[in-house]
Amino acid sequence: MGVLMSRVMAAFGDKEARILVLGLDNAGKTTILYRLQVGAVVSTIPTIGFNVETVTFKNVKFQVWDLGGQTSIRPYWRCYYPNTTAIVYVVDSCDKERIPTSKEELQGILEEDELRNCIIMIFANKQDLPEAATEVEITEGLGLNGVKDRQWAIFKTSALKGEGLWEGMEWLSQQLKAREGKSSFWSMFGY
Amino acid sequence: MSGGDARYFTSYKKGEIAEWRNEINNPDRDKKKGAVKKVIAAMTVGKDVSMLFTDVVNCMQTGDVEMKKLVYLYLINYAKNQPDLAILAVNTFVKKDTQDPNPLIRALAVRTMGCIRVDKITEYLCDPLQRALDEDPYVRKTAAICVAKLFDINAELVRDRGFLHQLHDLLADSNPMVVANAVAALSEVQHSSSSGIENFTLASDTVHKLLAALNECTEWGQVFILDSISSYSPQNERQAESIIERVTPRLQHANCAVVLSAAKVLISQLEGVRNSDAVSHAVRKLAPPLVTLLSAESEIQYVALRNINLIIQRYPDVLQDEIKVFFCKYNDPAFVKQEKLETMVKLASQENIEQVLLEFKEYATEVDVEFVRKSVRAIGRCAVSIADSAERCIGVLLELIKTKVNYVVQEAIVVIRDIFRRYPDRYEGVIGALCDSLDSLDEPEAKASMVWIIGEYADRIDNAEDLMDVFLETFSDEAVDVQLQLLTATVKLFLKKPSSGPQNLIQKVLHQATSDTDDPDLRDRAYVYWRLLSSDPEAAKEVVLASKPMMSNDRAYLDLEALQQLLRQVSTLSSVYYKIPSAFAPRSTNIINGVNLDETMSSDLADSANKKGAENSASASLSPTPGVDMLADLNDGFEAAAKQSASANLDSFAAFPESPGTFLTRPSSSQASNPSSGAFAKSTLPSSRRPVLLSEHASSGLRISGSIVSRGDGMPYYDFLISNLTQKPLTGFQFQFNKNFFMLAPEQQPDDGMISPGESKSCMIPLSYLGTSAGGKASLLLQVAVKSPLQNDAIFYFNDQIPLEAILQPAAEMGFELFTEIWQSIRMVDKCTKRLDVSWPLSGASIEGALAKLENNKFNTVSLKSNDDAHVAFVMGKIMLAKSEEYILLQITFAIGTGAIDAACRSRVEGISDLTLLAVHRLMS
Repeated sequence: MGVLMSRVMAAFGDKEARILVLGLDNAGKTTILYRLQVGAVVSTIPTIGFNVETVTFKNVKFQVWDLGGQTSIRPYWRCYYPNTTAIVYVVDSCDKERIPTSKEELQGILEEDELRNCIIMIFANKQDLPEAATEVEITEGLGLNGVKDRQWAIFKTSALKGEGLWEGMEWLSQQLKAREGKSSFWSMFGY
Repeated sequence: MSGGDARYFTSYKKGEIAEWRNEINNPDRDKKKGAVKKVIAAMTVGKDVSMLFTDVVNCMQTGDVEMKKLVYLYLINYAKNQPDLAILAVNTFVKKDTQDPNPLIRALAVRTMGCIRVDKITEYLCDPLQRALDEDPYVRKTAAICVAKLFDINAELVRDRGFLHQLHDLLADSNPMVVANAVAALSEVQHSSSSGIENFTLASDTVHKLLAALNECTEWGQVFILDSISSYSPQNERQAESIIERVTPRLQHANCAVVLSAAKVLISQLEGVRNSDAVSHAVRKLAPPLVTLLSAESEIQYVALRNINLIIQRYPDVLQDEIKVFFCKYNDPAFVKQEKLETMVKLASQENIEQVLLEFKEYATEVDVEFVRKSVRAIGRCAVSIADSAERCIGVLLELIKTKVNYVVQEAIVVIRDIFRRYPDRYEGVIGALCDSLDSLDEPEAKASMVWIIGEYADRIDNAEDLMDVFLETFSDEAVDVQLQLLTATVKLFLKKPSSGPQNLIQKVLHQATSDTDDPDLRDRAYVYWRLLSSDPEAAKEVVLASKPMMSNDRAYLDLEALQQLLRQVSTLSSVYYKIPSAFAPRSTNIINGVNLDETMSSDLADSANKKGAENSASASLSPTPGVDMLADLNDGFEAAAKQSASANLDSFAAFPESPGTFLTRPSSSQASNPSSGAFAKSTLPSSRRPVLLSEHASSGLRISGSIVSRGDGMPYYDFLISNLTQKPLTGFQFQFNKNFFMLAPEQQPDDGMISPGESKSCMIPLSYLGTSAGGKASLLLQVAVKSPLQNDAIFYFNDQIPLEAILQPAAEMGFELFTEIWQSIRMVDKCTKRLDVSWPLSGASIEGALAKLENNKFNTVSLKSNDDAHVAFVMGKIMLAKSEEYILLQITFAIGTGAIDAACRSRVEGISDLTLLAVHRLMS
């Protein structure tokens, strides 16, 4: 069983699941990316363009794309949609004024045909700050309760302290494995 | 790309773009790279693959340098097509690649960013560039060039960030490549700078650093450094000598660009050396490398020869003993041969003339007609310039004539004419030989030369008359040059042999030249001779047979100044063209010529004012008065007064009679193009003598004179004449007014025209009523501050009085009843009565004349009433104060008996009455 499992994992590991980190500017996307990759907080400047890094978690390789969140470059997110497995949507929990904007962007993503099969994971970031909204408030603010047709989850995170990120990744890798398992199971029957 | 990658250039199938897009997005790195290579291959053969922009840019963040280079290549090519998407690359450039631990990647990234000429990328270039300028030497040298690139894209950014200072610091860098690139960047910046501010002059300690770096640079780095040193003027003779000493070894370099640049430095530095031993020592060093250049490819030989021909004009001794090197080889291309010929003529001297003539004679028997002709000419030029060799040269020419080769003979005759002119009355012996070949002449120049010779030596040639007769038979068929010569020669013949034969000839030729020709030159000359001969034959003799000025040596045809300028350009295109750079590269002339600007401005104005007016603008600017009339005629539709003043105003823009080299700021285009936009008053003509406001003594050499005049619609402008009495050009003046009662403020600043030392330019600054109010009592005082950035940002102040009439508004008609109503409503605020000490019958003007003067300055007469002892004029003016209009009312009484004039003034504005009465007094007297 162990041998078989590692073979499956190896085959899967080569493929590098493609993950997009999206969200409004100043949500903490770049900080999350590097917290995941190097395990430390790096100083960042607003991302004009993108960062791409490979993150390995529990033998699963993720190719993580962190895209700039400024209004001017949000339209170019769609250039990165093809072949995406999962979307990590980062919300600044302290920036309550812009939650509606964030909701609009997320709804746009959900309606995107190319992202129909994507797993959606929301990071309610900046939980280390006292005025941060709770995950319930964020869930309501983003209108997530209406999303029934796909897998999604929300995590309270603090990129600065490194809290909540790994829980999120854990959930994500399990979802991916489940999906992989499902497809290989069905493929045995010729589907 | 290695040879195996050629397969990527194979033909395209349908749907390739989609296929490549898939491959690029393939997680497999090799496939990805292969796909990008295919894209680049398509790009290089001209296929548009810009639609893959995001896909390719997404491959940018990779550790694979080859991949990165491919993406960079793609970016440089397509960023312009996709300027919006290009910003997707910014983060990778700024955050990643320019901070990469590998200096090669850092340099590559900075270089690539500099090549992407997209504003959105450029604005993010500054920070990485800043970092790159003080990093690894390889990055630094790349960054130095990048500053020049950035300057070309956005000069302002470079100035703001102080990159040029950093470049100057790099001149002292420890790495020679960095120094060379900094020099290259600074000279490039200097060349492309439009303002001329970025002047790259070397300090003497920098020169030493450059010389130190010189020996370790690559060859192209050496060229940059040498070129910049060549423009350095040494502080003293010793320094010049030491530069020469240190640059001399570069003459031995294998790269001919280095050799020529080193030669340029030597030549420029030799100007500062007076010790003749040192000069001749250095000059001797110059010869071998120049000779060596002639063993290179023929194109390089040509460039070398063009430069050598310049150098030997300045230093004839350099190659004196090397003339054999310049003998033409049989297989030299024509362009090299002709240059060598030129060099040989320049180097020919008493000592080597024998050899040179032998060569020339040899060349004259070759098959290339053009070259043969030039060779024959060269013999003549040697004869003309070396007096002692003239006889030998003539000997060679005679031998050539004996060959009876048609074009050789004709060329030889032309040359012999020159020799005759240079050495009159010395070699007539050869004329006989020349006459033998008369029949073979068919080219106009040769024919004209022969005719000239016959005419000149008519008294020595026995059958001159017959020869002329033969020539004259075909007179009407000849070219004009020949006809002119025939005419002159016949006159000479007649004057030298005033017998019946020549008399017939002269009559015939004068008749033909006056009646049977269309050429005005020929006809005029014939009439002149005719008149001269018929009125005073003795005088004709003195005129026609006068001794001619000596022919000059044509070997050194460039004057010294031009030669000096060209020698500074040795090893550039300019030294091949023999033209200074500004003559063929327009970018190198940046300084706006005031006269030209004025011309375009005036014609532009006239054009927009009236198509027909444009035709008159030339005459208008020459003589303003007729111009006024002509322009006035065009404006028939306007009433008389407006017509006259409108043209007067136009004239003030278009003509500017008092100073031809003026530049002016147009108040506004609509204003100028539409003469009907306001009633212009006569005062709009700028006075030709402007009062001096700021004297040169108070401001270390800046003189400003000027006054405020009305633009006609109530908007005044300042009419300045700025004189630069300093030693340096001035530009970028800024004017500011202190708070003043009428709230005047400059509406715009003068444009950036440069005022050269000793030059004066006029400029017009439109004023608005949008300034700050000083409050208090009405005052015409205006305090002005002027800042000139080139004089260490110095600010100068001066005071001026606003002429009240300049700020009066064009008034609407006002009835007498309204006048009295307002007059009576103003009781206490400000009224003033004054006896003007002008008595009207004595001042020579009628009452109407006096009122017309006021009217021209926008004081309108409302009514004129008379009784037994006085005429009373009711006059009003209107001013603009704090955006509202205020009336000034005047009652002027002309006493009939005494001739005294009393004026009373009322206004709601405190203090204005006094000022008005002063102005009225000034205007009426």
